[in-house]
Amino acid sequence: MKVKYQRYFPSFAWGLLALPPLRHILESSMVTHMLIQLPALAFVGWWFGQGFSKDLTRKIALWNQWGITGMVLVVITMFYWMLPRALDAAISEPVFEAAKFFVIPLFIGTAFNLSWSSLPPIAQGVLKLEFWATFMRLGWLYIVLPDRLCANYLLGDQRILGYILLILGSVWAVSWALKILFGIRWRWA
Amino acid sequence: MKTLFLSTFLGISGLMILWVGTDGGRAFTAETARRLEVQERPKLVPIWHLEDQNSKILTLSDWANHYTVVDFIYTSCTSACLVLGSELQSLQKKFELALNDNKLRLLSISFDPEHDTPERLRTHLSHFSGDGEHWVAARPTSLAERKEILDFFKVTVIPDKMGGYTHSAGYHVINPHGQLVAIFGVEEYSMLQDYLSLALSKEGIDES
Repeated sequence: MKVKYQRYFPSFAWGLLALPPLRHILESSMVTHMLIQLPALAFVGWWFGQGFSKDLTRKIALWNQWGITGMVLVVITMFYWMLPRALDAAISEPVFEAAKFFVIPLFIGTAFNLSWSSLPPIAQGVLKLEFWATFMRLGWLYIVLPDRLCANYLLGDQRILGYILLILGSVWAVSWALKILFGIRWRWA
Repeated sequence: MKTLFLSTFLGISGLMILWVGTDGGRAFTAETARRLEVQERPKLVPIWHLEDQNSKILTLSDWANHYTVVDFIYTSCTSACLVLGSELQSLQKKFELALNDNKLRLLSISFDPEHDTPERLRTHLSHFSGDGEHWVAARPTSLAERKEILDFFKVTVIPDKMGGYTHSAGYHVINPHGQLVAIFGVEEYSMLQDYLSLALSKEGIDES
């Protein structure tokens, strides 16, 4: 009985994110849009993937050896949604907004869930590093750019996002270094 | 084999989507995209009724047969509009001949029609020594019209959390056929000048 209910949790969370009150609040600032709403949507997709039956996962794995197909999907989708233009479109054009709510959970979250663990360790390392570098690059860019990238957000917002990205990236780098140098592990790392 | 096939397929279609989504790697922001769009596909400007600084109603058909440079402002603005205003002022000086010859018009549209009464628009013009005849300031006559105009020009206006607005700032050029043909950013003022000089010389007006 419990298991049956749990299957609906991701859809419930997805619905909550899609409903106007929460959606509007999160989209009102660039910081919450990029750092809360988009990751939350990806997480919902990841959660949804957890509920896949063994049979289904096996069938998908045939097309997703070593997790390659899934990661191609994840990387391309992330590239697209990092475009300032895409973020603007999601706010001003309903079609793009709807697309965001399907594409990010499925193509990033679910695809990640089904692929990451089967990915070879070296590929994992490369992707992690690249993901971290993207954080730092974007953070730096958002701080130094004199112009607004998104027509729907203020320059101040963009700067704050830049600083947060740099801080998160640095924390990540430090915790990583500690792990590699001294074998210190956090439970969640 | 299946993996290779599917991931290549996804990779290629993904790159194609990125390519199309950025207009072939040229427009990564909505602002560049809107400039590129009118440059490649000029759009016919619909007929609107605007109220000018003398409470006179203007329609776009009044603007036919000459080039029009449009900027978007609100009179209580303390940043971008001041730059726009002073650059239109120099434009007014530089293209005096064309203006007097009715080959060029300047138009400042307020997107804050509730506050920007004709009187305030008049003050705005006088602040930049706008002549009020060849350089006109006007406001939409209704909020529905305001939205239509902003949507047409794809100008985004957002509250700046200090009681004012932040908005897409630029110069929108409408040609004598009533088509929106070019958009220049504030930083592209010199390009705007070159564009107008060229366009007007084709019309037989030579500015020195």
